[in-house]
Amino acid sequence: MLSYSLRTLTRMALTFLAIITIVFFATRLSGNAIDFVVGENITSEDRDLLIAYYELDKPVFAQYLAFLKSFTDGQFGLSFIERRPVSEIVVERLWPSAQLLLSAMALTLLVSLPLGIAAAIWRKSWVGSAVMVLAFLGYAVPNFVLAVVMVLIFSYWLNWLPVVGNGTPWHFIMPTIAMAGVLIAALTRFTRNAMLDVLGQDYMRTARAKGLPESRVILKHGLRNAGITILSVVGLQVAGLAAAGSVVIEAIFAWPGIGDLLVNAALRRDYPVLQFGVVTVALAVIVINAAVDLAYAWADPRLRQTVNA
Amino acid sequence: MLRLLLTTTLAAGLASGLAAQEITVGAANVSSYLDPGRDHSNVGSQFYYNTFDTLIDKNHDTLAAEWQPALAIEWHLVEPTVMELKLRDGVVFQNGEPMTADDVVFSLNRMYQATFPPYVVRSRDRLDNFEKADKVDDLTVRITVKREEPLWNTLLNLQQVMIIPEEYTKGLTGDPKVAEDDDFEAFSLAPVGTGPYRVAEFVPGERLVWERFDDFWGEKAPLERVVVQQIPETASRVTALKTGEADIITNIAPDQLSLIESDPKLRAVGSATPLFHLMIMNVNHPTLKDPRIRQAMSMAIDRDTLNEALWFGKAVVPDSHTYEEFGDLYMPELKTFEYNPEKAKQLLKEAGYDGAEITYDTHPTYYTNGLLAAQAITEMWKEVGINGKVRIVEKWNGGAPDMMTRNWSNPMYFADPFGSFGVMWAPNGPSEGQGRFNTDAAYAEAWERFRFSKDVEARKAAYAELMERIKQDPPFLLLYRPYESWGMSKAVNWAPKPGHIPYVLDFRAGAISFASN
Repeated sequence: MLSYSLRTLTRMALTFLAIITIVFFATRLSGNAIDFVVGENITSEDRDLLIAYYELDKPVFAQYLAFLKSFTDGQFGLSFIERRPVSEIVVERLWPSAQLLLSAMALTLLVSLPLGIAAAIWRKSWVGSAVMVLAFLGYAVPNFVLAVVMVLIFSYWLNWLPVVGNGTPWHFIMPTIAMAGVLIAALTRFTRNAMLDVLGQDYMRTARAKGLPESRVILKHGLRNAGITILSVVGLQVAGLAAAGSVVIEAIFAWPGIGDLLVNAALRRDYPVLQFGVVTVALAVIVINAAVDLAYAWADPRLRQTVNA
Repeated sequence: MLRLLLTTTLAAGLASGLAAQEITVGAANVSSYLDPGRDHSNVGSQFYYNTFDTLIDKNHDTLAAEWQPALAIEWHLVEPTVMELKLRDGVVFQNGEPMTADDVVFSLNRMYQATFPPYVVRSRDRLDNFEKADKVDDLTVRITVKREEPLWNTLLNLQQVMIIPEEYTKGLTGDPKVAEDDDFEAFSLAPVGTGPYRVAEFVPGERLVWERFDDFWGEKAPLERVVVQQIPETASRVTALKTGEADIITNIAPDQLSLIESDPKLRAVGSATPLFHLMIMNVNHPTLKDPRIRQAMSMAIDRDTLNEALWFGKAVVPDSHTYEEFGDLYMPELKTFEYNPEKAKQLLKEAGYDGAEITYDTHPTYYTNGLLAAQAITEMWKEVGINGKVRIVEKWNGGAPDMMTRNWSNPMYFADPFGSFGVMWAPNGPSEGQGRFNTDAAYAEAWERFRFSKDVEARKAAYAELMERIKQDPPFLLLYRPYESWGMSKAVNWAPKPGHIPYVLDFRAGAISFASN
């Protein structure tokens, strides 16, 4: 188990280094920050002055070294636009995004596990069909459409729910549903399929034969075994959501999150913020993946034994 | 006793109900930094007037230039190039420090003798004639210019020379006795001025909170607290207004106005913004070198139709680079631009235009209606035989040699021709500096007369000469003054004042009130 964990962590570190290098060079391919920092209405002489002030006149390699060095002071450089430490800006945005992600995850698990199990158990009755119809519909509707339709109904027409920011629990309702929509649809389907695989197994019959109550058979023997599949799907989905899924939702609900920050940083070529933001998101994805890897080993004794052997 | 208690509580409750006025503004953009000196963006100009004062203020209720005492109570020339100003006594900054001549000298010289690069850039295009400010005594300063200055009041009323506290700013980082670059950087995140609202909270690009500054020298602010929240999506802004989360929202495009006007509890106010959308033409591009081709490109464009189709007729189509806001220097009689497709065809023939492709560049979303206008313009060109093509470019390419035409904007930075045309099209200014506009000695000479003549008529005559040059060898065509709207609850009485530069959210006394009061 220990060496498995070590290997996972090493792979994580190498992936991370590769990402920050790619991010550094990729952000610079897209245009000169100075055009966005100082606007359009200046002479070329003044432009040069500002390029020097923002240290964009240095060779790319020197800038790369400065970038790597900025990881050591805990500030990760200064934003071109806001002129304050990047770490401060990103940290400000990290928690609101995490809040949204966590609440979307909680809602997803809460809704899709029971639905998926129900759809598997009653797959031949109308319950199973209804759940599946819902799941396919949910999968087909992009999150921004769901968000805009909800805003139209619950805010614009009915004036029930607020649309701006993350001030109160009420603010979480629509963004959470919008974020969770596709996830719920996907996870319901995967849960159903994984449960179907498991329900026909011999050990399920054995468990019933032992006289265990049906709920225990389904949840302990069934869900636990279906868990591996479900876990990997959840891991992938959450990683995807952390990486990009929240950008549109954050824009619609003026949610002060990291997706919104990244889009603006990209539009304005605020390299330091963009770099660190992408790196933070990459790190989150890596950590989530690593956590899922480790959780596999925990959930599946066979995997634990294989890696130890 | 009980009755007394009850009455007191009631009275207190009522009083606070009226006094504790608080509003929320849903803004399309909130600045990334707040420093009136380095900023001249349309986003920034929303915010400075509530927090900062200039030495000389202006009556913003009128288009005419009516100057009013602000931090200076009187001013006069002691020499042709030296002005002496008496400062208002008892003015306090929002951090509690008293304002003295030292603060004024510091604020002015940070621009006049700029060392911080963003100030250098900003002061060069408009404050180049200002040499220095000196302290005479605690309440008197003198300002020296290089050449006799016809625009004293205008240039002391600029956002860029709003007054900031010296000691506070210098003490922000490093050595508290020295003004370092980092001090100015830090100031832009924690700004302090003398205006009626102090910045209580500022999260760049996200939220700004103003609170009434009780020690303000003038009439107290009508609002206790103002929250400006960035809501980037137009649909979300309008929805926030409907749900009551916002009391005022900014930047409503003409095609969204009906959403607001159809709701009996809401209303919209708007005006033609003192800013021109324009088409720039690269005079040095090989295909466009002949002025007749550029004249034809301009004459082919029916700007009134653009206005009707894109702005529902609410934009203003100008005949020349002039604004009503210029007061005495407003020159509607100039006819620099005209629509004449027949003449366009003839000019193209004379110039021997061979059907070469002419590109029109635009950012996909930056200017409201920018892309639609581009498409309409290339269609209009086709009518006279110009082979136009819209190119979508994400970044500013006004300095690229292969740029042929593109859209741009010329804001009115201050209410004088020098504050708009004069900044953008000066000899060695941003347009010439980027290699798409040429000037010669004659142009420079006319420009100098327009900039420095003390007689208004002489300035107008010189400006007319410059406009004639623009007409004969056009580097641009003004399209229109776009129409900008704000939406608000009917309980709020607010409208942009005509005497401001674009986009100012003026919440000072007399600028905003509530219908119920």
